[in-house]
Amino acid sequence: MSRPKAGWSLRIAGMGWVTPLGSGVPAVWDRLLKGDEPPTEAITSPLHARTFQVFRVPTDALAKAPAHPRLRRSSSISKFAAAAGLAALEGAHLELDPAAAERTAIIFAISNGGVIYTKRFYHDVVEAGAQAASPLLFPETVFNAPASHLAAILGITGASYTLVGDGAVGLLALKMAEDLMQNGSLDRCLVVGAEEADWLLCDAYHRWRLLRAAPPIEVFQAQSRGTILSEGAGALLLESEGFSSARPGQSEDRPAGSSILIERIDPGSNFYRRSEAAACLEQILHRLGANNGDIVIASANGTFIDKAESAALLRYCPAATVYAPKASLGESVGAGGIWQVICAALALAEREVPPTLHAFQDHETRPGLPGPSHAQFRRAIVTTCGLNQQAAGLSLQLPP
Amino acid sequence: MTDPQPSNGQPPKARVAVVAAGVVSPLGFGLQETAESLRTGRDCVSIVSRFPVQDCRCQTAGQVRDEGLKERAKGAPHAKRLHRAAQMMIVALKEALGQTPEFKPQLTVVGTTSGGMSFGEDYYRSLHGRQTLRHAASQIANYTPQKAIMDAQEALGISAPCQVIANACASGTNAIGHAFECVRYGRYQQVLTGGYDALSELVFVGFDSLQASTPEKCRPFDRGRTGLVLGEGAAILALENLESAELRGATILAEVVGYGLSTDNHHLTQPNPSGSGARQAMERALESAQLSASSVDYINAHGTATPFNDAAEGKAIAELFGRVPVSSTKGMMGHSLGAAGAIEAIVSLLALRDQILPPNINFRESDPALDLDIVANESRPATIRTVLSNSFGFGGTNASVILAKRNE
Repeated sequence: MSRPKAGWSLRIAGMGWVTPLGSGVPAVWDRLLKGDEPPTEAITSPLHARTFQVFRVPTDALAKAPAHPRLRRSSSISKFAAAAGLAALEGAHLELDPAAAERTAIIFAISNGGVIYTKRFYHDVVEAGAQAASPLLFPETVFNAPASHLAAILGITGASYTLVGDGAVGLLALKMAEDLMQNGSLDRCLVVGAEEADWLLCDAYHRWRLLRAAPPIEVFQAQSRGTILSEGAGALLLESEGFSSARPGQSEDRPAGSSILIERIDPGSNFYRRSEAAACLEQILHRLGANNGDIVIASANGTFIDKAESAALLRYCPAATVYAPKASLGESVGAGGIWQVICAALALAEREVPPTLHAFQDHETRPGLPGPSHAQFRRAIVTTCGLNQQAAGLSLQLPP
Repeated sequence: MTDPQPSNGQPPKARVAVVAAGVVSPLGFGLQETAESLRTGRDCVSIVSRFPVQDCRCQTAGQVRDEGLKERAKGAPHAKRLHRAAQMMIVALKEALGQTPEFKPQLTVVGTTSGGMSFGEDYYRSLHGRQTLRHAASQIANYTPQKAIMDAQEALGISAPCQVIANACASGTNAIGHAFECVRYGRYQQVLTGGYDALSELVFVGFDSLQASTPEKCRPFDRGRTGLVLGEGAAILALENLESAELRGATILAEVVGYGLSTDNHHLTQPNPSGSGARQAMERALESAQLSASSVDYINAHGTATPFNDAAEGKAIAELFGRVPVSSTKGMMGHSLGAAGAIEAIVSLLALRDQILPPNINFRESDPALDLDIVANESRPATIRTVLSNSFGFGGTNASVILAKRNE
């Protein structure tokens, strides 16, 4: 695994969060600490009248979203991403002038992408033939459309990458940011994970036997009962340490979590059978030096992932404090890894960990899952195990 | 070698070698078939056979031969369940690793736009037609865009983490460029890179709806150009720190020496007509390679043959390079989207190896607005030391990569 060069580290300079529990980092965190759960919305497949439950972003969560011409016809995913991305810049008190924009990269993490428009576009073709295909919808079906919209809104003219993958893609995007920033040609990277929910995705995950008919998402159970899909976006503005502190007049009113350093990002490896996932995660925890004094923000979501993650955590840090945010926020795939990192940064900064909802708490067979605590944490580990063979990890630390 | 004392405070830079390559495209299976097709200017575009196209304006594409593909991908785990994109990737990867079996990638960076999209289409069609969904779980698991490279890695016993870039038609070049920088700046010693895409109905109809694809021949940079035809394929390049490659006695096919990218915010699907986005990517690639424009001997253009792309790209090339030989190979094989940049990097590699400029076929008449030296219709022998390859995509993603003959 590659290591950052000596004496160099990345700082989280700003964060943005759009979730089924609302938007805004302090507000969502507060609700997680209280153990709130978002309501589910029932969506029905018009093709076979099957109903699914999803965690939707509430409409008022986008009240402050930008009204940019690029977003006029765009799908929800682009709106979530724009709102989260702009919030991350705002949180860092950063306005991008053209010179700064040129030295800023966007890296997007996506799994399902613009599924709503993709489905609409293809539905028209299936229903009425190629002549019915919409030239307005097609460009929005491309995976990098949300990144393109955000780049246009921010005036970014340099690097813009969209990475696709499973639930681990958020951390792979952070790894890419780290690699890019070590070249010296960039001052910052805005890493955004985003996803939108639709009945077609629910149907697909249901047939893949990964979906639960209705909440709750019960994590770390002996029997996997399935997950609930959700939507939203998360954004992390990364700067090299020392760069953000050089901007005047901001150190006092930085939001919580915005001084956390990324210690190490492990891009992991691939597991080709589900039974190999635990070993893959164990290697990641080993390389990250996980121990019982760490907070672990896990990707457990009520599927086979829980068993793999549980086995790996029990081997490397059985008494570590573990928080599984997907029990509260749902499985948002491409956004999920970024949400976990936001939780990790906030847990470190606030020295507080929200309760993992609906978790099985037998400490002999499951990792530690305490409620709110004020322990003197110094380090947080994020593990992400995707549903389609990718796994990655990351460690955060408080600044010295 | 690493530059021991960088003069500008930038991190030290290592030279980056291409130590192996593999390719599958309508031009053929493998480097040799591809080189022969390029030399002879073979037109590999034909009527689409994979899905109905009778309602589309455009009815042709560059297609990879099915029988040859299945035969070559045989023996891979779950071979019958694999998507064509995965099969193509397996064949390309097998060819590349066959040249350098001791290559152990620490990272894989590839590009794609739609991965195994046709499995998603099959699933949706079955759902829509209330047909049996017996294969739905497998179709869903295998349609995800990253799955083709994961399947190929599994088939070849590799488990390197995969960064899969979906930057529309620039994906392949972005992947090579990022992989190049990862090795250049010492982050990794050995990186696999490339791209893949298989024809899919959704994408085919999409381009047709935009009237970006043509019912006629694809004629890049021609005065009467009317649009692109789609294609498919996969290509892999094995990149390695030149010093370590030499130490282990690896064959050096070429060096990657520069990479530039830009984001053009003019429009989601159209380039800025001034060519500024394309120009910026090429300028940045030259800067990255520390080369002047006059040292580039050949440009493998993005050259989709759409009026907008070729006008913007041609203008940028003419302004920046003057009359350097230019060709777009898309007339021969179609536009393979996420694979295009990777396949065209291999075309560039073969141009360097064989000292032949690949032809821009179907060319009839110069566009008076574009002062370009088009390698029209027939390949040309030439002295080629440095090649620049362009890829531009929806979303305003522009990428250029520069390959050079190994500098002794």
